[in-house]
Amino acid sequence: MNSLERVLKVLKDKYGKSIVNSESPAASRLFVDIKADKVKDISNEIVALGGRYLVGIGHDNIARDGNIGMIHTFGFDKENSILLLRTAVPGSNPVMDSITNDIPGAGWSEREFMDLLGMKFKNHPKPKKLITADDWPTDIFPLRKEVPYNLVPPSAEDVAYQLDECPEGCSIVPVGPFHTALHEPEHFAVYVDGETIKGCDYRGFMTHRGIEKLCESQVSYNEIPFIAERICGICGSVHATAYSQAVEMAAGIIIPERAEYLRVLFLEIERLHSHLLWLGVAGHLIGFDTVFMQAWRIREQIMWLSERITGNRKTYGVVIIGGVRKDITKETEEDIIKVIKKVEEEVKTIYKSIIGDSAIHKRTKGVGYLSKEEAIKWSLVGPVARARGVDIDARRDHPYAAYKELKFDVIVTDTCDVWGTLVVRLLEIYESINIIRQVIDKMPGGEILTALTEEIPPLKHGISVVEAPRGESVHFVITGEENRPDRWRVRAPTYPNLQAIPAMLLGDQFADFPIIVGSIDPCFSCTDRVEVVNVASGKNRIMSKSELEFISRGNK
Amino acid sequence: MDIVYVLINLVIFLAFAPLFEGIVRKITAKVQSRMGPPVIQPYYDIIKLLGKENLVAGNWAFTLAPMMAFAAVLSVICFIPFGYKANFLAQYADVITIIYLLVLGGVSILIGALASKNTFAMMGASREMVTMIMVEPVLAMTFFVGAMKVKSLGIGDTVFSVLNNGYSWAVGLMLVLYLMALQAFVGKQPFDIAEAEQELLEGPYLEYSGPNYALFKYAMMLKQMFYAALFVMVFIPFFYTGVYALDIIIQLCEIACVYVFIALIGSTNPRLRIDQAVRYYSVLIVLALCAVGLSVYGI
Repeated sequence: MNSLERVLKVLKDKYGKSIVNSESPAASRLFVDIKADKVKDISNEIVALGGRYLVGIGHDNIARDGNIGMIHTFGFDKENSILLLRTAVPGSNPVMDSITNDIPGAGWSEREFMDLLGMKFKNHPKPKKLITADDWPTDIFPLRKEVPYNLVPPSAEDVAYQLDECPEGCSIVPVGPFHTALHEPEHFAVYVDGETIKGCDYRGFMTHRGIEKLCESQVSYNEIPFIAERICGICGSVHATAYSQAVEMAAGIIIPERAEYLRVLFLEIERLHSHLLWLGVAGHLIGFDTVFMQAWRIREQIMWLSERITGNRKTYGVVIIGGVRKDITKETEEDIIKVIKKVEEEVKTIYKSIIGDSAIHKRTKGVGYLSKEEAIKWSLVGPVARARGVDIDARRDHPYAAYKELKFDVIVTDTCDVWGTLVVRLLEIYESINIIRQVIDKMPGGEILTALTEEIPPLKHGISVVEAPRGESVHFVITGEENRPDRWRVRAPTYPNLQAIPAMLLGDQFADFPIIVGSIDPCFSCTDRVEVVNVASGKNRIMSKSELEFISRGNK
Repeated sequence: MDIVYVLINLVIFLAFAPLFEGIVRKITAKVQSRMGPPVIQPYYDIIKLLGKENLVAGNWAFTLAPMMAFAAVLSVICFIPFGYKANFLAQYADVITIIYLLVLGGVSILIGALASKNTFAMMGASREMVTMIMVEPVLAMTFFVGAMKVKSLGIGDTVFSVLNNGYSWAVGLMLVLYLMALQAFVGKQPFDIAEAEQELLEGPYLEYSGPNYALFKYAMMLKQMFYAALFVMVFIPFFYTGVYALDIIIQLCEIACVYVFIALIGSTNPRLRIDQAVRYYSVLIVLALCAVGLSVYGI
């Protein structure tokens, strides 16, 4: 009896009356339909049984049965299985219990659908706006099917996000919306007492692009991988692969073995450049620009390699549903081997100098401390979790593509701080190099793409996880009728990790703020994917220098 | 004629300070496998900033602060016996005056930061203040070690103490301490804590731009060159020739070497946090007191 059957049995014994239905389309997936009133108890039960909260997915099903669906998903990492807890509430009164009080990692998932689907979660600890712009009307819910994708409501003046109350005796330091330590627009209000951080409120989602809405209403299945790659500027292939796998799973498409290996190749090349990029940024954030420059110099070779293989330094555009678009030749293989050998040597040098540098120890050890229990509670993922002794890695726990046939170690440390994330990422660079070598050795010949011959059946659910450099990405797809998904939910690794940032910051020095936020390798654009950007309508007009000055000086 | 030596001091410092800054940038770039900007880039920077519109983000103190900082550091330079030539101004002042003027430069930065009423500038100001309180004593002790020997606080006597009396254990200890505090004196990594670009966005200077900022920047460069020159004058008197022009050239070369040291330390260290830095400074102060104690006993 595998874990999912065991869990199902426990749930049936305890909450038999509330469980409507259950199905298991694949051995590693279990869908359980429950009545909405017991969602909190059952979720807690699943977590008690060892489930790790992944993501919540809200979807508009009003046109079909008048309901709005909410799916809470849980991973059982030891047994390679995912449990999806499906529930629904009537669209006319979409109220259900919040599970956030016990499972803090669900906080944003629930807030997201308060904004986007107009759901209400009873007893949510922080029912504030998360995603929609401050001046977005409170009665328009963009992910509802009747709302057009290009709707632009009139903008409003004088509406601002109300920050959490500042603790007594503290002053607010605004980090953002634009700040050198952050490379994307987002706003942390940091409450400091002298130099010590006493609290923090986050307001992000400032560059919402409405990608999910766009893809659910405008484009077709195989155009989405290219849009998915543009969710993130660093781990694009991850999103394309995760989306493709979710659709393949929903539709039951088997991809050729060579394509699986090629996907691994691109994912690992991406991890290499991403970890080196992070290393550089981390160096910069603690004021150590030499690490920054050297790490990026090493990384540059990988960028050039990607350009030679795919034509692009980033955003490779190779992964699509059914396989990959580009094959590699014998010469390319040699090229790859040559480049990663050089990179390995250079990383060794940098590793040696960093690992023994007492000044770096000073700035990273004990900084951003979060215990293993807290890390599990907040459902942290990726190097951030592994640095805190949580032994999870989607490549090993939920094997996809060709990872089952490859040997690699999952690096885990127990320092629970920024230093741990640094060590984990450095060592993962070696693992990635190791994996790439194995891929080149073992890659079988043959086709690289399974052509889509039949139409993808509608209303199938598929979920896939992919280990991005920052942690695990979860993509969930409900197939639709018009050659495009009915619902596509993306959960990038920054989404859970960012939620735990206030907990990591607590009690640390303000000087450590950049490196603590940096330690999760935040990718804010990954979280900013749902909303339609609020653009002022009307004619374009070029403003004169004096007008800009007038505005920038507070209309004086 | 006396005024000539003062003018020579000023001209040399004003002319060379940006060049040394350029050398630091170039060396840092080399360490980081970069091309780096041209060595004369800091001159371009200052000229460009001077040509910009002066934006004022505070009251009169905001505009006054950079001028005060610049004037303070220029006054310091007037007094010092560069090229082993104590000029006539030295008789009107002593090393205490120099310390006061240097502190005045630091205070101007505080005034500017506080006048701009910016959260980051305020935090930078508080860090600047802590740094000033903690490192100025090391500078004072450097003078006192010399002053004890010659029983005089006169600028010339104190600075030439090692030149005239040779090394002692106290001087040796002070030399090491001075080098350890050098990065903090010149505000480079690991002690560029007050500016801390990634946290405080240049801290006290955040609201400054254009000519005001140019003055601060120039004052900073002059201050750095002063600390490097002081080290050379006090601790490295080996190449004293007695020929004024030659001494100046030799000292400039030595200063360049000190800058190489600054650049190498700066480019191979991350920035410390203020609490870690304070612990470091306190050790320096205690050791510096020991050095003064040693020199009292003539060791």
